[in-house]
Amino acid sequence: MTVTAAPQAALSVLPRADGSAKYSHAGYTVTASVNGPIEAQRRDEHAYEAHVDVIVRPAAGVGGTRERHLESILQSSLTQIILVKNFPRSLIQIVLQIEATPENDYVNTKLVQASLNFSIMPALFQTAILALLSAAVPMRATATASVVAVVPETKSKKLVVDPSPRELEAAQSVHVLAFTSQGELLLAESEGDFTVEEWDEVYETAEDVCCKSETSKSDVDMMLDDDDDDAGPADMHQFIRSTLEDKVAADLHWK
Amino acid sequence: MATAPLLVLPGDTIDPSLIPTHRKQPLRLGPGLRHIPPSEIVPTVAGQLVVDPKKNSMWVEYNGGRYIPSTHDLVIGQVHRSAADLYYVNLSPYTANAALPHLAFEGATKKTRPQLLPGALIYARVTLANRHMDPELECVSSTTGKAEGLGPLTGGMAFDVSLGLARRLLMARNREEGRVEVLELLGAEGLAFETAVGRNGRVWVGSESTKTIVLVGRALKETDEGDLTVEQQRKLVKRLVKQLR
Repeated sequence: MTVTAAPQAALSVLPRADGSAKYSHAGYTVTASVNGPIEAQRRDEHAYEAHVDVIVRPAAGVGGTRERHLESILQSSLTQIILVKNFPRSLIQIVLQIEATPENDYVNTKLVQASLNFSIMPALFQTAILALLSAAVPMRATATASVVAVVPETKSKKLVVDPSPRELEAAQSVHVLAFTSQGELLLAESEGDFTVEEWDEVYETAEDVCCKSETSKSDVDMMLDDDDDDAGPADMHQFIRSTLEDKVAADLHWK
Repeated sequence: MATAPLLVLPGDTIDPSLIPTHRKQPLRLGPGLRHIPPSEIVPTVAGQLVVDPKKNSMWVEYNGGRYIPSTHDLVIGQVHRSAADLYYVNLSPYTANAALPHLAFEGATKKTRPQLLPGALIYARVTLANRHMDPELECVSSTTGKAEGLGPLTGGMAFDVSLGLARRLLMARNREEGRVEVLELLGAEGLAFETAVGRNGRVWVGSESTKTIVLVGRALKETDEGDLTVEQQRKLVKRLVKQLR
C-alpha cells in the first residue's frame, strides 16, 4: 500500500447552497453543493420519488462523455441511499466541481482536464455524501468508496489503494467499490482484465479501507473518542463520522 | 443536557436502552428518525439524538438544509400570485408553492378579504403537509376563528436566517433553552420593534424607524453566522447600539 496523505474535509463551505462540502484526498480536491428537495422540471419529475441529479464538472473545460459516465454511476448509487420516496415530484441536485487532480510527473500534460477515470470516484463519492449530510437530506445510510488498482510487478501482482496516475497507467485493472455504513456493498465497477480471485482480494482490501471498524462493530464508539485525533481515522466511515461530529457540535453549540 | 451529546449518522443503530418507554403514551418520533416496522428506529440525518422521557418522544436535533413543511409550523411566506380562490405562497426558493385560501383570514368573506399583491409577506400556519401534495396554509385559527397574530405583514423587512436559529427563536423559553437573547437585549436598549419568526428560516422585523429594522436584522444575522454565545450577543448588541447613536 502506498502512503497517502490523510483525507481532509470541510462542511458547509458555500453560503448559498443548502449543503456543501469540500474534500481532498490522494491529490484530488472536490467541492460539492447540494440543493434540495426543490421543484423538479417537468421532464425530470417522477410521481413517486425524487429525482437525483448529479453534475460532475471537470477542473478545466467542459464535461464530456466520461463525466456523463461518472455521473450515471454516482446517480444510481446515491439514489439507493437517499430516501427518494420521501420527496415525490422533487429534485435533489448535486453539483461536484473538481478543483485539483494529481499530476502525472512522467507525462507532460498540457490540459488539466486530460482524462477523468475511476481513480477520482472515491473523492467524488465522499464529497457528495458529505454535502448530502450537510444539507440534511434524509438518507438510509452513509456510504464510502475506495479505488483499488491491480498493478503487475515482475512475476507477481500487487494491489494499490488510491493509485497514482503512474500506477494507473501500469495497472491491469482498476476497481471502484462503495460500501454503506452497514457494511453492505453499494457499488462495484471494474475496468481491465482480472480474475475472480483478484476481484475477491480487491473486495477485501476495499472493505478494509471503507469499513474496517464495522467488522469489529462493538468498539466503534470507544474508538471515536480516543483514536482519531492522533492516529488519524481508522477507515473512511470513521473519517466521515469525525467530520460530522465537529459540524454537529458547531451547529448545536447552544445546547 | 445531562448526558453527553450523542451523535447519530444516517443508518446508525440506536441503542435500545436509549429509546424511552412509557406505560400509557405512545412513543413519538420527531424529525430525523424513521421507523422501519416492526421495531427498528433509524436516524436519517446527521445530528444529535435527543430523548424526552417525559413526553415519551425522541428526535434528532440538527441545523441546516432546506425547510420541509410540517403541520402546525408557523411560517413566513411571500405571495407569488393570486388564483381564483387562493393565493400561491412561496415558503423557500425553488420549491413548489403553498396554497393559502382567500377565506383563511380572520373575518374573511367572499366580499371582504385581504387583497394581497404579489410580493406581500404573510405570517401563516401550515395546515397540510403531505409529501404527495403541495402544502396548505391558514392565517386564522380554525377552532377559534381568530387570527392569533397571523396574517399579512405590512411594512418592515424579512431576513433569512438558518433553520436552527429560527427554531431556537420559536422556543417558548428561547433565553434558557435556545440561548438567544439578542432580541430581548435590543428591546432592553430601548429600541421599539416587533418580530415574527417563521420556521422556514425567515424573520420579519417591523418598526417605525428603518434604522432599527436594519439593526435588528443585522444583529440576528451576525448571531446566526457567528454562532454567538449569550455573552457575545451582549457585546454585539452594545456595539450595534453604540453605532446607532
